Amino acid sequence: MDLNLIESFLAAGVALATPLLFAALGELLMEKSGVIDIALEGKMLAAAFFAVLVAYWTQSPALGLLAGMVAAVVLALLFAFFVLYLQVDQIIIGAGMNMLALGLTGVLYRELFGMTGQTITVPTFSAWPVPLLRHLPVLGRSLFQQNILVYLALLSVGLVAFLLRRTRFGLYLRAVGDSPAAADAAGVHVPRIRLLAILLGGLACGLAGAFLSIAHANTFVEGMTAGRGFIALAIVIFARWNPIGAFFIALLFGLASALQFQFQAFGVALPYQIVLMLPYILTLVVAALMGLRATPPQALARPYFRE
Amino acid sequence: MRNARQTRCFFRFLLPVVLMAASAGLMQCSKKAAENGRFKVALLSPGPISDAGWNAAAYEGLMLIQKQLDAEISQIETKTPSEFEEAFRDYARRGFHLVFGHGFEFQDAAAAVAPDFPKTVFITTSGNTVRDNVSPMVFELEQATYLAGMLAALMSRTGKLGAVGGMEIPPVASTFAAFEAGAKAVNPQVQVLVSYIGNWEDVGAARQAALALIDRGCDFLIHNADAAAAGVLQAAAERDVYVFGTNKNQNHLDPQHVIASCVSHIPQAYVEMARIVQSGTFDPKIYRLGMKEGVVDFVINPELRDRIPAEIMAKIDEARQNILSGEIIVPSKQ
Repeated sequence: MDLNLIESFLAAGVALATPLLFAALGELLMEKSGVIDIALEGKMLAAAFFAVLVAYWTQSPALGLLAGMVAAVVLALLFAFFVLYLQVDQIIIGAGMNMLALGLTGVLYRELFGMTGQTITVPTFSAWPVPLLRHLPVLGRSLFQQNILVYLALLSVGLVAFLLRRTRFGLYLRAVGDSPAAADAAGVHVPRIRLLAILLGGLACGLAGAFLSIAHANTFVEGMTAGRGFIALAIVIFARWNPIGAFFIALLFGLASALQFQFQAFGVALPYQIVLMLPYILTLVVAALMGLRATPPQALARPYFRE
Repeated sequence: MRNARQTRCFFRFLLPVVLMAASAGLMQCSKKAAENGRFKVALLSPGPISDAGWNAAAYEGLMLIQKQLDAEISQIETKTPSEFEEAFRDYARRGFHLVFGHGFEFQDAAAAVAPDFPKTVFITTSGNTVRDNVSPMVFELEQATYLAGMLAALMSRTGKLGAVGGMEIPPVASTFAAFEAGAKAVNPQVQVLVSYIGNWEDVGAARQAALALIDRGCDFLIHNADAAAAGVLQAAAERDVYVFGTNKNQNHLDPQHVIASCVSHIPQAYVEMARIVQSGTFDPKIYRLGMKEGVVDFVINPELRDRIPAEIMAKIDEARQNILSGEIIVPSKQ
């Protein structure tokens, strides 16, 4: 296997891992605060759509990214209204919001671009090679000649880890997720912390969705998130609520997905369905081998009623 | 105070229900029922009709039926076999005369539902299941992909051609097999690499699959992946290789890279089929529609025509005539 192929395989793996990583980090923050949000998929889809829409209208990927983030945060606010103010079951609202996003983006897309669609191409984030590091053999091209969002995803891992472990907000977040009553007694405003976590989660989903549509696929297609939101959910659990773990599992999943396309392109004589299973199987195996015991946040998915 | 709590209670339980109902409603914008007695035609599409390809063509057919036959129409997007069956049953119960299941995957559901509704005709686009009121209409798109394979093999510099599919269902695998057969007919050394992404919507995956094929040296790509095909076109543009459009004429989508399109005039076929059913001349059999019937065509992109050498063009035209006259029988796995 020549170097060129390895480089493009690694580059593809990193690109495929990026949206998963964003969404997983967002979910991780939410779950740490005791909120489970299964509507990552919906928020990513909405972000993907609005990012393309605005990038198409303004011809600016930066404004597109902003629009995608705003769309996801608006949905996150709606989610927060239901789960924090009305204290509705989080899973049900999440499921409903996934459907809402699928329907909404579909209807708007058909309204704006015609019932039978067209392929819209939008200006995208171009690769931004990191000075010096880009000259590294192999890693240079795969890791350090990506677009800015990829670096941001890598940076976010450290950011989230720092936030959770080294800041007061992180402490509150974990307290609220494990024992909201105790946190409340200590003077922490539980809904406020959870609201912040949900908004940060929305922001992360916005980045994930916008990355998909304006930095990776460069167009919008109905349902284009194709289950990535749910993969991100699984990554959080496999990573035992650890941001560093989420990074490795997202990367593993991305690399396995990229490998699977290389396999097919090589004409490996295997039924393609087996090759397509590769990312899922690999991730399962690794998660099983790691075998770390960790308990989920104690108050996960439980609304907090003040006594 | 009590009132406030009640309001809150109302919001907590009713609003989610309303939200979900509203979003479910958004997902299927079916036309409202009209007066009785009109010819009623429905379409089950396996994906969004905004894909500018396979599903879009079926919807255009449905619109033509509405216009030309003054029919009442309805469309629904269905993903899983249980949804197929439920939707077939629902339309038949509501007195629809003709229900299209747009794809190979609909035939089992059609065959299962059909005996209960003898007055409704079920047509699946592609397939081989025939019952008293179930028939497939098969577009012989293979005839066009065969020509695409020839053109690609004659022009390729690397001798490697790539194909990206949604799922490996017979109508897709068959178009790729014909593509390969066409390529091998002019150059037995040529290699065709096929990659499937496992669904019909994941544009990102389709792009990566196409890029992997290009990295392996493919300088011509063909796709059959519905909405996800946008990713294949994207990859072709990025690496500046040629790509073929399929199902619909996609030459205009990227005039610098889509060198030709393998077209099924699906809308016209839909109208013809509806006419047959409306006039009562429906006969259960496999309806094969190809180049001879004017349903399948291979359309060269006029903007790139001058990049195709004249002698290659002549070979393509000759093969086209031979397919029409039946001299070349294009292999079909359907």
